[in-house]
Amino acid sequence: MRTGDFKQTYGELVTLVDSPPVWLWSALLLAGLIAAPFVLNSYALSFLMIILITVVGTLGLNILTGYTGLISLGHVGFLVTGAYAYAVLVSKYQMHPLVGFLGAGVVPALASLIVGAPSLRLKGLYLAITTLAFSFIINTVILEARWLTNGARGISVQRPEIFGLSFDSDAAFTWLCLGFAILTLFAALNIRRSRVGRAFVAIRDNDTAARVMGINLHAYKLFAFVTSAFITGLSGALYGIYLSFVSVEGFPFLLSIEALAILIVGGLGSALGAVLGTVLIVLLPEATRFVFSLFSAQIDATFTTGAQELKSMLYGLVIILFLRFQPRGLVGAWHDIRRMWVNWPLRY
Amino acid sequence: MQYFMQLLISGLAIGAIYGLIAMGFAVIYKSTGLVNFAQGEMTMITAYIAWTISTTVSGNMFVVALGAILAAVVLGLVIERVVMRPMLGEPVFATVMVTIGLAVILRSSINFIWDAYPHGLDVGFGRTIVRIGTIGVRTGQIAVIVTLLALLVAIWAFFRYSKIGVAMRAVAADDRTALLMGISATRVHALAWAASSVIAGIGGVFFALSYDLSPAMFQLGLKAFPATILGGLDAVLGSGLGGLLIGITENLAGGYVGSGMKEVAGFAMIIVVLMIRPFGIFGERDIERV
Repeated sequence: MRTGDFKQTYGELVTLVDSPPVWLWSALLLAGLIAAPFVLNSYALSFLMIILITVVGTLGLNILTGYTGLISLGHVGFLVTGAYAYAVLVSKYQMHPLVGFLGAGVVPALASLIVGAPSLRLKGLYLAITTLAFSFIINTVILEARWLTNGARGISVQRPEIFGLSFDSDAAFTWLCLGFAILTLFAALNIRRSRVGRAFVAIRDNDTAARVMGINLHAYKLFAFVTSAFITGLSGALYGIYLSFVSVEGFPFLLSIEALAILIVGGLGSALGAVLGTVLIVLLPEATRFVFSLFSAQIDATFTTGAQELKSMLYGLVIILFLRFQPRGLVGAWHDIRRMWVNWPLRY
Repeated sequence: MQYFMQLLISGLAIGAIYGLIAMGFAVIYKSTGLVNFAQGEMTMITAYIAWTISTTVSGNMFVVALGAILAAVVLGLVIERVVMRPMLGEPVFATVMVTIGLAVILRSSINFIWDAYPHGLDVGFGRTIVRIGTIGVRTGQIAVIVTLLALLVAIWAFFRYSKIGVAMRAVAADDRTALLMGISATRVHALAWAASSVIAGIGGVFFALSYDLSPAMFQLGLKAFPATILGGLDAVLGSGLGGLLIGITENLAGGYVGSGMKEVAGFAMIIVVLMIRPFGIFGERDIERV
């Protein structure tokens, strides 16, 4: 009988998955996601695309906020930089889409060096406010640099064609997003179990202790910023392609809050949490709408007129309720359920 | 020169509003150790309530002022009791995120309770233009600067001499020792929230007097951030002065460089200030013991 989850070597502690069936379930899920575009209608498919794109972005933020413990309120700044980098390179200068994606990662990463460097001296709330300031400054820079970005008029973006493969159809674009999401997920999981990831977590848990153990705080904090911005930028490029139009208005400040809400709801510092949180938060407005429409058509009408406000209200409510009643997020709840399943009828 | 003076005066006026809201931030930070990201939204709601009183009950200046202050007190107390007190003892990150959640809720509630259109707050005061030399100034602008200065003095005296003020400083300095001395930390927190709500609310009402009410008013809170960072999160008086500084910088940048610069001058300024003094100009250096 299985009595618990015992790790006997260091190797077991850092394996990607600790039990073989997980590979099977993951493969089944992947097969399901690949088949999804054939089954779902275009409305449901758009939600799948949003979920996959958001997963990329939240995994990026998770590296900075979840692993390293640096709160960023300005991640929408990296998102919009990535989207513009792609749009300018591909739509304006007709570069290859792969170059565009590379640029969408590298340009925010460079920007993050500029934000990250002064932030090395700052802690907690001061850092959060500096990143907030950055996201407003970057918006103004984009609006002012008209020769490059068309200012407030924005840039329209086509869906890419890479090596003869066209990603024009919804199905194909979903697969592209799926590819990015899987790559990011593996990148995040592998960073977490490497030496770098352990250094990040050590900084989060106690930066003075981490420093005493010989971790170069400045280098690792900057590295967390750069990695996080790179991934978030890619997500921004995908989101820009999804919207088929890149403008400052397309990336409101609320996206930063949404990303943090996702991390809190999912469980801070866990890649699985970022994925679960994304699914919940993206589907939440739709699910609430569905539940209420069962009761009355009038509430349904309110949802249509005040959709944006209700959406943000739900985010706020979900953030507060999770922090109050389930601070470890969905991942915490899942761990509790799992432990109960193994130990029942005993409590421990 | 006249253009410069005009920019300076209107910068001082808007800066005084930022200063009031920044003082709201600082009062809460000083006694509870957290940044209230919902400050701008609380300011906006107080201003909207003042507008509702002016249109439904009476347009009398004093009735509106009294009503708005009462509403701000109730708002602060309710938020502290319902949302913040259950989070007592939780990590700072969680508590600050709760205020962000609160901010988002309050912001969208405006569109449900009131509407999305701009309104002018008219109490028969504040929009007439007075001439000082060659410069035209609105009475509302003069009033807000005077109010800020009066409040700065009052708050300085409050923290320096009154028993409650000293208790608040004690809780901020070391809440455990303060508890041992018989100070009720929850009561101090409640008082801080109420006071912060009122101070910021006054700023909001003055903003509505001089400009307009709109659901975008919560951005005042974001604009006041640089002010409180500049002054130091734990420095109430510094935050008030920081507001004046930010207001002037912003207006001069807007007047001489471009309107885009006006939006971000404050933010650019705090990044520079934080690089040199990471705890604000008047803030206390945080010494970390291992």
